[in-house]
Amino acid sequence: MLVPSLAALALALPQQEPKALAGFPGLAAGRAPQVEIAWNRLYDWDQLYAHMDRLAARWPQLLTMQVIGHSVENREMRVYTLNNPATGKDGEKPGMWVDGNIHGNEVQGGEAVVYLAWYLLENYGSNERVTELVDGNAFYLLPMVNIDGRAHWFAGPHDASSSRTGVMPIDDDHDGLFDEDPPDDLDGDGNITRMRKRVPGEGTHRLDPDDPRLMVPVPQNDKGIRGDWIFVGEEGIDNDGDGRVNEDEVGGYDMNRSWPALWQPEHVQFGAGPYPLYWPETRAIARFILAHPNLAAVQSFHNSGGMILRGPGAEIYGEYPQQDLRVYDEIGKDGEKMLPFYRYMIIWKDLYSVFGGFVNWTYEGLGIFSFTNELWADEQNSPDKRVTDDQAGRLFLDDHLLMGAGYVDWHAYEHPLFGPVEIGGFAKDVGRVPPSFLEEEMLHRNALFCVRHAEAMPRVAVREPVVTDLGGGVKAIDVIVANEHLISTRSAVAREKKIGSPDVIELSGSGIEVLAGGFRQDRFRPERIQLQERDPARLLREAGLGPREELRVRWIVRGSGAATIRVRAEKARAAERSIQVP
Amino acid sequence: MPLLPLPWALSVAVAAQASPPAPELVDHAHLSSEIAAIAAAHPDLVQRNKLGESRSGRALEVLRITGPAPEKDGKRPALLLVANLDGPRVFASAVALQHARALADGYATNEAVKALLDSTVVYVVPRANPDAAEARFLTPRQEQHASGTGVDDDRDGRAGEDAPADLDGDGVVAWLRVKDPDGEWREDPTDPRALVKADRNKGEAGVYVLWPEGRDADGDEKVAEDAPLDARVDKNFAAGWEQHTPSAGLFPTDEPETRALCDFVLGHPELALVLVYDAQDSLVGEVKSVGDDAPAVKRVPPEGVLESDAKLLGELARRYKKATESTAKGEGGERGTFSRWCYEQRGLFTLSATLWDIPLEEKKKEEKKDEPAKDAAAGAEKPGEAPPPAAAEKPAADEKKPEAAEMKPEAAEMKEEPKEAEPKPEGEAGEKKGDKDDKKGGKKDDEPKPSDDAKRLKWIDGAGAEEAWRFRPWTAFQHPELGPVEIGGLTPYARLEPPAGEGATIAQKHFEFLLTLGALLPRVRVSECTRETLGQGVIRVTAVVQNDSFLPLLSRSARRTDTVRPAKVRLVLPAAGKLLGGNVQELLSELPGSGGRKEYKWLVQGPDAMELGVAVETDHAGVAFQKAEVKP
Repeated sequence: MLVPSLAALALALPQQEPKALAGFPGLAAGRAPQVEIAWNRLYDWDQLYAHMDRLAARWPQLLTMQVIGHSVENREMRVYTLNNPATGKDGEKPGMWVDGNIHGNEVQGGEAVVYLAWYLLENYGSNERVTELVDGNAFYLLPMVNIDGRAHWFAGPHDASSSRTGVMPIDDDHDGLFDEDPPDDLDGDGNITRMRKRVPGEGTHRLDPDDPRLMVPVPQNDKGIRGDWIFVGEEGIDNDGDGRVNEDEVGGYDMNRSWPALWQPEHVQFGAGPYPLYWPETRAIARFILAHPNLAAVQSFHNSGGMILRGPGAEIYGEYPQQDLRVYDEIGKDGEKMLPFYRYMIIWKDLYSVFGGFVNWTYEGLGIFSFTNELWADEQNSPDKRVTDDQAGRLFLDDHLLMGAGYVDWHAYEHPLFGPVEIGGFAKDVGRVPPSFLEEEMLHRNALFCVRHAEAMPRVAVREPVVTDLGGGVKAIDVIVANEHLISTRSAVAREKKIGSPDVIELSGSGIEVLAGGFRQDRFRPERIQLQERDPARLLREAGLGPREELRVRWIVRGSGAATIRVRAEKARAAERSIQVP
Repeated sequence: MPLLPLPWALSVAVAAQASPPAPELVDHAHLSSEIAAIAAAHPDLVQRNKLGESRSGRALEVLRITGPAPEKDGKRPALLLVANLDGPRVFASAVALQHARALADGYATNEAVKALLDSTVVYVVPRANPDAAEARFLTPRQEQHASGTGVDDDRDGRAGEDAPADLDGDGVVAWLRVKDPDGEWREDPTDPRALVKADRNKGEAGVYVLWPEGRDADGDEKVAEDAPLDARVDKNFAAGWEQHTPSAGLFPTDEPETRALCDFVLGHPELALVLVYDAQDSLVGEVKSVGDDAPAVKRVPPEGVLESDAKLLGELARRYKKATESTAKGEGGERGTFSRWCYEQRGLFTLSATLWDIPLEEKKKEEKKDEPAKDAAAGAEKPGEAPPPAAAEKPAADEKKPEAAEMKPEAAEMKEEPKEAEPKPEGEAGEKKGDKDDKKGGKKDDEPKPSDDAKRLKWIDGAGAEEAWRFRPWTAFQHPELGPVEIGGLTPYARLEPPAGEGATIAQKHFEFLLTLGALLPRVRVSECTRETLGQGVIRVTAVVQNDSFLPLLSRSARRTDTVRPAKVRLVLPAAGKLLGGNVQELLSELPGSGGRKEYKWLVQGPDAMELGVAVETDHAGVAFQKAEVKP
């Protein structure tokens, strides 16, 4: 039987060169990024800026940098603007602000911001949706809000929760001295862990018989069981001799209680400082944001807990308007799908009341749809209940997935006050930041959540106008002006509180005289129309264009000739269409 | 002078020593040179410093006035006087400046001044809002409250296109009233020059719309509704700050003057008392107080002065009214103000005075007798003062009337008045004033009662030609956009600046009140410090820390805000000594005034001869040390 050779077949078919695989959208085969950054690591402040600078060097048209202020220790506060100037200035497009690391120990937010920039740039040009997103919108990226706190967390001895504060000296204990009694790294291992002391027969804890690293509380019953151990606190000594240990650390405030929305002073809201935007970092950011009324979306990365948070921050605010909740809910719920174990939550209700929080200000004060993601859900360590919610389980994972590197085993130390103690505990990069091998997943999913949020920013279109002759030289021009996306050009809170400027929908033409104009309320009955009394050629819309809204506009005019219908909104690219009025 | 009554002779003697001239209203340039002159004349007493700059770059200045060698006796507590946060309050600025001059000039000759300055540092900020205050010296005359960020008030896409203006060219920006069926205002039946809000519930229909004098430049049928500037320094502080309100600014402390003042207070932990001459009042009218432990609502503490503090402040208010006889209640409100921030968020005892307003009631007969003589001796003339009108009105039995809700809306000065007590017939001075709803048998309660503005007009009428400027009679005018209107009303500064002759008296009385404040500030001392040997080198030390001044160490507010450092009480133990019992250092927050005491005990071990003592250290109430003496 005649079998055609494969070679012969091959000759008969047109030869297809395998397409070069460009971009790095998240597929693992056959691609390489243009700028290699290891995403399984956390970077000190200067290294993170260096990565951004590499991106700016590789894509200078798309990524530019400006210094907006300086931190307490005089480090630069940098905003990197990601924008395609060929499609317009950044200020003329909807903008998204993304920052991270306002708490100095919540470091992975910094990497998340850099990852987002990297992802957009790597895939610009090769991926249609990324290209469209970048061409149509602007991004303002500030990786490290509390850049000093981050620097201290890397450089000095800390635990997972310390160095949250900025570093301006504060007299925490009201004794007239500043930052005089911080925790002390007694064993010099770069971590602040815990101290325990053996007090045979007089302790509150016993050692777990299966693992002597674990301390188990003595049961509260009348069976006469005694413990041999007590905890004696956080690693440290009484530096100022006032009888208290570690009561006045470096700094002692919370920059994320500084923002001017329902701001409350220290005795109501711990860490708030003496007045809003007291810290130079926060004031510099506030001024930048106030100078960019085109901002339509905000993300501020924190750790940890696996949450997609929105306000209200304080119960007393009440609830957000329904129309805005529609926007929040759709994006939040998509987030839950994209980020396993993350829950979409309301800050005051599901977490705790916060006064003066950043995303509360950007929404309640400025009308921008804003989320805070708490990066890293513990459950990502393992969904197996045998190792979750349990100290023993944590130790198991550390022993076998990190070869014990994340845990400082108990070791002896002679304490000046407590005498012989033991020091031990988890290292500072365990618990709130992911292990290296889970970091890139966290960064990717959260950056793509930002993309999901950004893709929802308003896009306005002017559909084809229809001219109707009403007789007597008078014509009606009907046009649909649409917002094709989820996020309103003006949020409901912006409309209610008169934030920003109304949208403007105008008709102009040298041969056209506008007699009346307004927004139609009925598709079939044109007489049902909300007419604007003054200056009808220039219609002002305080309500903007809502989620996916199609607004019917009508002008009643005299005259003929070329005319242009133009829509200008603070948070959308201008749209226009020309018509000929016969 | 022996022909004058004796008390008068004494006050004349004082007056001869320290008789200040009438406070002069000066523009920024003159204010700066006055401040410089005071500092130059008394370099040993006065230091001139810059707090910051206004938006337009004018310097915000503070004078630090205290006796020589302040470090000699440890830290001196400080008192801060701030005036003229609200732009038009230039008179307040003049009074504060005069106080500064009187302190510096009076140190050498006036015992009371010397006593104050040797024990206290007095900071004076004569003008906290130089930009808005400058409008006082421009033509046309208008009250300028805003100095900061302007917004598009009428939401038409243009900002600041429709500001108040002097339409009729008389040099004054007054008020416009237009007949309009949509109007809310009607003439006060007791005096058609005054306007009151129409009350539909009483069958009253509105007749007029009221605007500031100006054009309708943008053709939106509203007049002067979009001025270029909106934010006010005096509403930009964090306590009670109003969001989404153009006059309150973009965020608290966005206005540079506001921030500069806050930073000054933060940078001076020696402050123990704040005195404010501005639009707020906490000394004449009633102040809203709230229980010390009143619960927070959804974590937000309730508004008001804490009861413990209110009692003390109430006593000071009583003394203030006695010393100054002021009846000016102020209508400033407390949203975003400096005084509220100082008290509520910094825990500082704060006194606010508006100094003067057009009186609503005539003065008591006894007062009227004294006044002309006093003014003559002080050298101030009162030209053109009309003799007191025949007392058709009763003397003001309602001095202590609860402050009626007289908040004026931003735009309109003519305001809605609550029902006042009906003027009583002569001779019934002792009759108890009825409240609003009182319907005594025989009283005609459907007779209209004069509004507050009508009462002010009555005062103006009676005050002579010199004061006629305060009211411009409603005069017909053809408005370019609105057609026939009337221009008139109470003129700018009419309610802020007293008649020429009274200014000196007001300043003098307030100065005398100021001189009493130093003694009120808390001061710590170790009133007892004893040692008792219990045997075998074991010694018990007992000490009492005491505060004899009127004010407690910390206000109740400061004990809540933790913003005033408590006293640090320390046992001074030599190296040879060992502490057996007690804390080497204690922090003391709660120490009442007027002899408040707190006792401490320590047990130490050491040689009998060793020196022991107790030291107390504060930022704002001085320092003290006492050696422990053997118990008698």
